[in-house]
Amino acid sequence: MNIPAAHRGPQPWHLTDALVDGYATHSLAEPDAWSVETHVEVCGPCAARVSAAVRATDAGPLLAASRTALLGLCRTPAPHTGLPGLLPAPAARAELPGLPAPAPHTRRTSFLRSPASPTHRHRPWWSTGPALRGSWLASLLLLITAALALAYGTGVDVPRSALLALAPVLPVAAVAVSYGRGVDPLYEIAAASPRGGLRLLLTRTAVALAVCVPLLTVTGALLPAGQGGPAAAAWLLPGLALTLGTLALATVLDCRIAAAVTGTGWLLAVGLPALAARPPRDYAQAQASAHALTESLSRYVNGLGAQAGWALAAALCAGALALRRTAFDHAAFDHTTAHGPRA
Amino acid sequence: MPLPPRPHISLSALTVHHRKTLALDALTLDFERGVHGLLGPNGAGKTSLIRVLATVAPATAGRVEVLGHDLADRRALPAVRRRLGYLPQDFGFYPGFTVREFVAYVAWLKELSRETTGAAVERALERVGLGDRADARMKTLSGGMLRRAGIAQALVNEPDVLLLDEPTAGLDPEQRVEFRELLRDVGRDAAVLVSTHLVEDVAAACTEVTLLAEGRVAYRGTTEQLAALGADPAEAGDHPIERGYTAALRHHRATAPSAAGVTR
Repeated sequence: MNIPAAHRGPQPWHLTDALVDGYATHSLAEPDAWSVETHVEVCGPCAARVSAAVRATDAGPLLAASRTALLGLCRTPAPHTGLPGLLPAPAARAELPGLPAPAPHTRRTSFLRSPASPTHRHRPWWSTGPALRGSWLASLLLLITAALALAYGTGVDVPRSALLALAPVLPVAAVAVSYGRGVDPLYEIAAASPRGGLRLLLTRTAVALAVCVPLLTVTGALLPAGQGGPAAAAWLLPGLALTLGTLALATVLDCRIAAAVTGTGWLLAVGLPALAARPPRDYAQAQASAHALTESLSRYVNGLGAQAGWALAAALCAGALALRRTAFDHAAFDHTTAHGPRA
Repeated sequence: MPLPPRPHISLSALTVHHRKTLALDALTLDFERGVHGLLGPNGAGKTSLIRVLATVAPATAGRVEVLGHDLADRRALPAVRRRLGYLPQDFGFYPGFTVREFVAYVAWLKELSRETTGAAVERALERVGLGDRADARMKTLSGGMLRRAGIAQALVNEPDVLLLDEPTAGLDPEQRVEFRELLRDVGRDAAVLVSTHLVEDVAAACTEVTLLAEGRVAYRGTTEQLAALGADPAEAGDHPIERGYTAALRHHRATAPSAAGVTR
């Protein structure tokens, strides 16, 4: 024993660096190690030094893992027996994969739940799916910015017509990027989940609509209307009908193809007259094209008759979707799995 | 909660066609609690069977019961899916998600209550040894860690039926040993189906082996029985199970009246 007897009296005494290092590296004689342990039980500063020294050794990552494991245990629902406790490092490692488990059929509410768990913080965004995390949102914001910049930067009255012509395509595009093997990396897992299928597709579409409808409508209202141009809200029913039409088509086609069909159809119907009439070469012709677009768009959306037509189309598409809803019960046929080398 | 009185999984004359290919040919099988190895050559129908049981692919004909529900009844699907864990052969993820968010997202898909989600996610991550990587982004994970994250998402709802398609691909030997331990643990209360190419995994973790060939059952028995088939060291393979596998497959091909090797 190399701790001087004089140091073991009532007077203040602290561990030497040699003792701390020796303890951390397992090189102390056992009685010395016991002395260190007895001391750190009552001396905070020395305990902190020993902890730091041990964490700096190879055992550090394992201790960190044990700590995480213990914290995890505190958050698990069922009470446990046989807590691993602060095991020495090698034992802690062996314990990690087989941590005591509550019986799989228990579904008790946890007593100790960390209220600020990150899983709770992110929850509202989970249902949004790929649309709001990817390029779709960027396209939406770009479209709005471009429309406002053109309107207030150039004074041309095209932006509202252009915006309203493009607006119905955005929720359609959101459907395209929301569901399907090619676009949702979690598609296969979602298809095996109670929230998957049509329910997930509708949730994601609804979220996309909730984001783009107010933004586009308000932007439309901020833009100069021009003569005889459609009202800012005129795109809502066409947008809804095209979205539901895309969903109905998606019962027989891939979502992306369905969206391409409805989106392109709309853009051609609205935009072709404007482009066919006068391909714009200079400012005056661009103005003329803009007016042609406004006229063409007005034909489709202005007036009670047109709006009633869109409402009817939306209702029909919703009905078709409801009739064909079983198409989403299973995942789409997967070529790679069925014919791939590892099937 | 009492266990269902019927087998966890019950198939009768299950047939699956993919376009013109016959993937499963009138399979009749039951799977009880425990760890079941699903072996077979490429194209034998292992993935097709797992996808039907995962409610991802429909059966062309025949009857599939999972946890007492007929999968042909679409109203039963949500109840089955809540009690199901599924690791596809290839699974994707949102690269920006952390590991914890990924597993929590699946918990949300599985309709776990808000109150239990946090704890269930932490526990699933601990069980696969990813507790210390919970805040790492998915895109930063290695292949083995990704696979473990995939296993964690399959475990998050503490499923009664756990379906794992090639779960040990990408795991290093030490992780595979830990994984088999985990399988045995889960298999105490749930029916676990593991499709794999690696016979050592079957030998170590599975209580029962089903060998598929060309969409049919080529062999069924305990792991010990299959190993006993491979007792003859003249058979091809380094491991008794491997030799048993070869022997059972050869026997099946010799006796089964079918075009051998159609979809290899």
